[in-house]
Amino acid sequence: MSRPQRQFEAAVRGGDGLAIIDLHGEMDGFAEEALNAAYAEATSSEPPAVLLNFSDVDYINSTGIALIVGLLAQARKSHRRLLTCGLSEHYQEIFRITRLADFMSIFPDESAALSELQAS
Amino acid sequence: MDERQDEIWAKPVARMTVSELPVGATNLNVEGRQPVSPLQGFGALWQKTYRLRLRGEDVTPAQVMAVWKEKFPQFQPKGNRFYPPVGGVRSGEIIFIESTVSAWPGRLPGIPISSGVRVIYNDDECFTIMTPQGFPESGWNSFSTFEEDGETWVQVQSMARAADPIYEFGFRFMGGARFQEETWQHVVKAVAAHFGVHDEPVQVIRSCIDPGFQWREIRNVWQNAMIRSMFYMPVRLVRKVLRR
Repeated sequence: MSRPQRQFEAAVRGGDGLAIIDLHGEMDGFAEEALNAAYAEATSSEPPAVLLNFSDVDYINSTGIALIVGLLAQARKSHRRLLTCGLSEHYQEIFRITRLADFMSIFPDESAALSELQAS
Repeated sequence: MDERQDEIWAKPVARMTVSELPVGATNLNVEGRQPVSPLQGFGALWQKTYRLRLRGEDVTPAQVMAVWKEKFPQFQPKGNRFYPPVGGVRSGEIIFIESTVSAWPGRLPGIPISSGVRVIYNDDECFTIMTPQGFPESGWNSFSTFEEDGETWVQVQSMARAADPIYEFGFRFMGGARFQEETWQHVVKAVAAHFGVHDEPVQVIRSCIDPGFQWREIRNVWQNAMIRSMFYMPVRLVRKVLRR
């Protein structure tokens, strides 16, 4: 677990019934504090769904995946949907390997996620 | 996308398949089982971290990890036999396990349990294994090394929940959780001892991520590897006798 090449950052945006967390950089064990803080901020207004936007994430290791599991467990406990978008083909495959894809909706981009949410 | 990830993550599989069985290992509770994530078990979801600093040792995280992978079975406590793949720890490969689960550690004799885990991630400083259906825990264990404040650390981190109600009962009330924690503390101490570090304490960080039960997963009990291993015991005995 060397120091990441591009430090992880997470920024929260609000929306109608949806909080969006834009993720940037490399996602590994060093991302824990920033990711959990962003999730706490995103859920402070009790949105029914949170979208994780991975389009600017360069790298995820297994510790980074474990962080997402932690968020997913929290979301399920509070009956909140956790969605993802911006995952490359490769990372979508990783979500299938780790079975996260069984529990999270994966969208190609933000607009597709928003469309699905509005339709449901 | 970072090209590193093409080689270090395993390919997705719906079910585990065994192509080559290491000498001494038993292909029981592995073939045809689905790998399961921490979200698919029954019991409370725990993240537990066991970490130890190699104080004063001039070794890099990658050097420590190389030794850890090579000698992985030797760092296990007595009674835990790990059979890594013939070609070593690699993504997508299966590590076979022969262990003993006691219904009451220290008071009742252990029940042999055979299973295996799949390596889903492997880089120079970390590898992660994923358990199959029927394994005592549903989830992952990551074995990693890293540098902090100029010193190298070794770490085991589990993110898992008991696979079914029987295992959950065992973890909570029959000493299973303590046995598990002692196992991983033994492992990080053994790695440290290999590098000449003997007196450094193990830091244990426990975090209950979801304390609830997942009742919809109660049927996992049909895959329980401990029960299936018990039924397999007569076969083991016959084989033992025939070998004499």
